[in-house]
Amino acid sequence: MVATVLRLRYRILGNTLARRPWQLVGFCIGLLWALWALVGVVAGFIALNAFQGLDVARTVAVLAGSALVLGWTIGPVLVAGTESTVDARRLAPFPLTTRQIMSALAATGLTGIPGIVTSLGALASVVLWLRWPAAAVIAVPSAALGVLICVVASRLVTTLSTGLGGHRRGREIFGTILLGVVIMTGPIITGILALLSSAGDVLGRLAQAAVVLGWTPIGAAWAVPGDAAAGDWIPAIAKFVIAAGTLAVLGLLWERALEASVSAPPRQTARTVAPGRLGFFAVMPTGGVGATWARSLTAWLRDPRYLRQLIFVPLFPVLFAFTTGIDGWLFSVSPLMVALILSIAGYADISYDGTAFASVLSTGVSGRADRWGRLLGAASVGVPAVTVVAIVTAAIAGTWTTLPAVLAAALGILLAGYGVSAVSSALLVVPVAKAGDSPFKTVPGQTFVNGLVVFLVLGVTIVLAAPALVLAIVSTVTSSAILAWIALAVAVVAGAGIILGGIVVGGRTLERTGPDLLARIKAFPS
Amino acid sequence: MSLTTAAPALQLAGLVKSFGPKVAVAGLDLVVPTGSFFGLVGPNGAGKTTTLSMATGLLRPDAGRAWVHGIDVWEHPVEAKRIIGNLADGVQLFDRLTGEQLITYTAMMFGIPRHEIAGRVADLLELMGLQEAAGTIVADYSAGMTKKIALACALVNAPRLLVLDEPFESVDPVSAANIEDVLRGYTASGGTVIVSSHSMDLVQRMCDHVAVIAEGRVLAAGTVEDVRAGQTLQERFLSLVGGRHVSEGPQWLRQS
Repeated sequence: MVATVLRLRYRILGNTLARRPWQLVGFCIGLLWALWALVGVVAGFIALNAFQGLDVARTVAVLAGSALVLGWTIGPVLVAGTESTVDARRLAPFPLTTRQIMSALAATGLTGIPGIVTSLGALASVVLWLRWPAAAVIAVPSAALGVLICVVASRLVTTLSTGLGGHRRGREIFGTILLGVVIMTGPIITGILALLSSAGDVLGRLAQAAVVLGWTPIGAAWAVPGDAAAGDWIPAIAKFVIAAGTLAVLGLLWERALEASVSAPPRQTARTVAPGRLGFFAVMPTGGVGATWARSLTAWLRDPRYLRQLIFVPLFPVLFAFTTGIDGWLFSVSPLMVALILSIAGYADISYDGTAFASVLSTGVSGRADRWGRLLGAASVGVPAVTVVAIVTAAIAGTWTTLPAVLAAALGILLAGYGVSAVSSALLVVPVAKAGDSPFKTVPGQTFVNGLVVFLVLGVTIVLAAPALVLAIVSTVTSSAILAWIALAVAVVAGAGIILGGIVVGGRTLERTGPDLLARIKAFPS
Repeated sequence: MSLTTAAPALQLAGLVKSFGPKVAVAGLDLVVPTGSFFGLVGPNGAGKTTTLSMATGLLRPDAGRAWVHGIDVWEHPVEAKRIIGNLADGVQLFDRLTGEQLITYTAMMFGIPRHEIAGRVADLLELMGLQEAAGTIVADYSAGMTKKIALACALVNAPRLLVLDEPFESVDPVSAANIEDVLRGYTASGGTVIVSSHSMDLVQRMCDHVAVIAEGRVLAAGTVEDVRAGQTLQERFLSLVGGRHVSEGPQWLRQS
């Protein structure tokens, strides 16, 4: 049975790669990278065994092993759908017991490229203990335990997150928490780095961390051979028991989760607002502009795929504050970076509509009205966000004098970008995560060309914003307050002109390209 | 204006569409008279959805033209779409909005005056039996509810031509009967409905005109009475389209 599922999985992989040459290229690159990493790891183990003592080997084994377990656990959340070719839901119609499904899924996890590389790497860790034969012998079952913990933990998380998949609300909460974690990643990492560098004795800290981790479910399996090599047999046995217990508990939880995901209702109504609560639809004027504006603004404030772009609003200032300090020039110009990101966030806005763009098209709304609506929606969020970031960073850094110049440059970029996006989004659609999917999901069909187009849009935006940018820079260099206010005026006036031009050109373009864009969206691999 | 009032509700001439090597619609001509309840039937892959997409301005034909009340859909798409209500098959809705928001949004897109919108939305929610679910996100609707909300959106602009692709798929019988009544009243008052369906019984009961299409061509079109020529529509359809097996199925499938 397991063999059949494995054959099926490789069959699906083969068919996918045969149909999509670029994915095959990506697959080969991934394969080469994995091989290279494996060779590096094995070489590192051999070097460690030859030149370093037992203490270093123990620290490395526990830390690397713990990182591996964490990676496997977080992986499916961050890159949703990586291992979805064969999952519990698809196996459900077949007459298999939960246990059989579990062994089939664990086997597919083990035999994927990450699984194979992890297994080989874990097996290679035996090299570390070759000088202590007894430890080397016990390293084999410990490594096997460690790898199984990786695979089962990853499967458990996948089951939980797709099990929640039935509960739209649950998944969205999950996504929001994830957004928060991602926002905090920068400060957390810089904080940890600062702690480490201030501590000075980095190696000592790491060794301490390894000792603690060795007693936790994450690192226990990888700590067993080290203890055995040191002759500490009782801790070694205790940690082996912890690891085995971890695997058993994970297995049990996974079994529960699988059974729950089958018995839970596939859909559950979560949020119901009172009738009459129309949100922005009650406020905006009737007509194509108002309707699109209300829809776009709702998406900017609700849809995780749009919210993801708003991460950058606090992220850039916070990141630069931590890395270069609030006196650094990078902190002062962070509103510009925010403006740049927000201005091109909608460079292929229609992609986010998905096939629902058909309903826009069938209302026969004019291209210009559609452009206005989307632009106003984006600007209702973007202009206040950029302005607030500019004022707040100026207040924190105490650089009130340069505020007009910074504001001029940031708004110049933002408005120019909106104008450019009004045209580019009438020409382009790119594959994006579907509404309701994880905003971090990697979508098939992204091509190299798409990436280049982003840079083209950015380039045109900066060129169009150049007058305001140059004036802002000159005013800062010459400390001329008047010039800074002129720059701000130029930014607003030129920006308005670029937007008007963009809407006329983009609107006319969209009326021509609308049906073709819809056809392209429909043709994206789903 | 006399020309537009005299013109048929929908006229298709020589429509062609291929997707790569596959020809989906191969020179299709069709006239849908004003005030008719028109059924479009055909096997899977016959080109029904492709045809209706081209007739409503969603899919650009390789060749041929489409007129709605005399307005060329591809020459004057904005004017044509103003008078079409379209329920497209196989496309999503903006399903992060609540049902009420979605209908309101659609009404606003058509520029319905603000003071009329709330009344129309309430009527449509009642007609579809969706008052309870008005405040629920459309993504949380069942398949049948989603179909009904899409139908409500197609009706909100009081179109002169309603193009409904598979409107009754997974809709419960009570709602279907209510919707049917409304559509009858609508055609009686001069509106035109074109529905595609797989259900011959439904088409025979509801429609006064029918076209049978297969492999991208019209095999027969006219009033239901003419097309079925004394047989049931089901029998006539099968004899036109062919491909019916007379068989009890493979031996291994039989239970005794």
